[in-house]
Amino acid sequence: MNPINTLAALIDRPELLTAADRPAGLGRTGMLGYLAGTLGIFAWLRMYSAVPPGFLSFAAVLLCLLGLNFLMAALLHLFMDLTGARGGAGRLFLAFGCTDYLMSLLIPMTFFAKLNLVGGFVAYSACVALLVYARVRIVRRVYAVSANKAALGVLLPYAWMGAAAFVASVYSLAWLIWLVI
Amino acid sequence: MEEQNNSGADTNGRQPQQAAQPAQPAPAGKTAGGGTALWLKIIAVLYGLSLIAAFAVVNRADTARKARSKDMDLSKLTGLQKKKDAVAVIPIYGVITQGSSARSWDRGSQQTAKRIRTMAARKEVKAIVLDINSPGGSVGAVQEIYSAVLKAKAETKKPFIARFGEVSASGGYYVGAACDQIVSHPGTITGSIGVIFSVSNIEGLMKKVGLRNEAIKSGKFKDIGSMTREMSPEERRLLQGMIDDSYEQFVAAVAQGRKMTVEQVKPLADGRIYTGRQAKEAGLVDKFGDLQDAVDAAGVAGGLGKNPRVLSDGDPFENLMSLLDSKLSLRSSAVEQALDATPRVEYRWSGR
Repeated sequence: MNPINTLAALIDRPELLTAADRPAGLGRTGMLGYLAGTLGIFAWLRMYSAVPPGFLSFAAVLLCLLGLNFLMAALLHLFMDLTGARGGAGRLFLAFGCTDYLMSLLIPMTFFAKLNLVGGFVAYSACVALLVYARVRIVRRVYAVSANKAALGVLLPYAWMGAAAFVASVYSLAWLIWLVI
Repeated sequence: MEEQNNSGADTNGRQPQQAAQPAQPAPAGKTAGGGTALWLKIIAVLYGLSLIAAFAVVNRADTARKARSKDMDLSKLTGLQKKKDAVAVIPIYGVITQGSSARSWDRGSQQTAKRIRTMAARKEVKAIVLDINSPGGSVGAVQEIYSAVLKAKAETKKPFIARFGEVSASGGYYVGAACDQIVSHPGTITGSIGVIFSVSNIEGLMKKVGLRNEAIKSGKFKDIGSMTREMSPEERRLLQGMIDDSYEQFVAAVAQGRKMTVEQVKPLADGRIYTGRQAKEAGLVDKFGDLQDAVDAAGVAGGLGKNPRVLSDGDPFENLMSLLDSKLSLRSSAVEQALDATPRVEYRWSGR
């Protein structure tokens, strides 16, 4: 099935995600979503000269994104499973891929950022906020849980990563001060 | 399990509708609204266009960057080039020794010599200040830095200025003598032109604790400088000859660097220390001043005028690694040095 048609079907009838059988074309649409999202992120990173050009560089970003999303889907599924909600981990991972299309918004947003119409960080934050919102909606459907629980499940991995980064930065700062003194 | 599922379902205790009535699988293509699909197609086309535009922009920026870095010759822009010119400051602190390893962040004589070569080779560096605060060190290590200065001067014709800090004696002075000018404080301790070889004798202590050392040697001088026995007159004569030779090298280096004759240097080179003022009177120092005065002198000598841009020595990574090494090192270098009684010939003032 055409990924556009699959995506349109999921948007119009999100309850398809809770059906006994996986929606037709979800696998292809999800993986294409990861590819499109990675292209968006890669173009954004290239426009800020943050990554080198070339296919290998793109492949590294794609692999990183796939790994991160796999981890997040796994953690979320574990959390849902432990709290008694039932759903498919594979379906969740592929549905996350469908939300990754939103990261392609980074490209026009970066153009606006380069024209100083919007801040670069604001553009990125807006895309991530949209992504998180879409994922919360997806999790609600896949696991049939409340919006609050879905938001908690989606934000938990982000919170862990944020906390880890914060602790690492504070520790590095303390370590640097110890080095200098 | 169902209860648990329900408990996590909704804050108001309501189950979402789709959970209560699971949707039947439906042929998505037929049920999808034509409007949504049309919008998605438009968005996909826009996405494709923006992607092409983005990569075109990035590609053009890359090409422009590459072309700029190839074509732009800064030497043609005298104004910009002038702005970049600088005086390099290389610190030589503490006892001068050969580093214990080849690690680039070590502070041994070979790393200092390498820094001197690197700085002298840089186009924007027009003069170099050696910021010396050292009581000297081993003969080989001191001469390594000395010869690096002489070679850099010969190859690049760049002026070298020595700045003496608290103490710049013996080997510290040896290195400074290679420079074109020496700037010191009036109270700097300098001089101590001479060579020393010292060895402890622990024979009595060993007898007391009942320890005896046996040496099987291929020649009678093989264990010269041994701590476990009295030095023989023959060995003393041999060592004195070695010390005298090293001393002659020191005197020759001072004479060459200070534009004096060996006969003029020898009366000053009996190992005594001088204050900066006494050294200036004796012709061993050119002028008084601090580090800024030395940098100014280097700026003037390098054609940059006073208060030139200063290029600090050292790679940030090497500085960090050096810091890490000193902080994380399991061995205490101070204790190790105190216990290291290996006899060695040194251009070193032992007062510090």
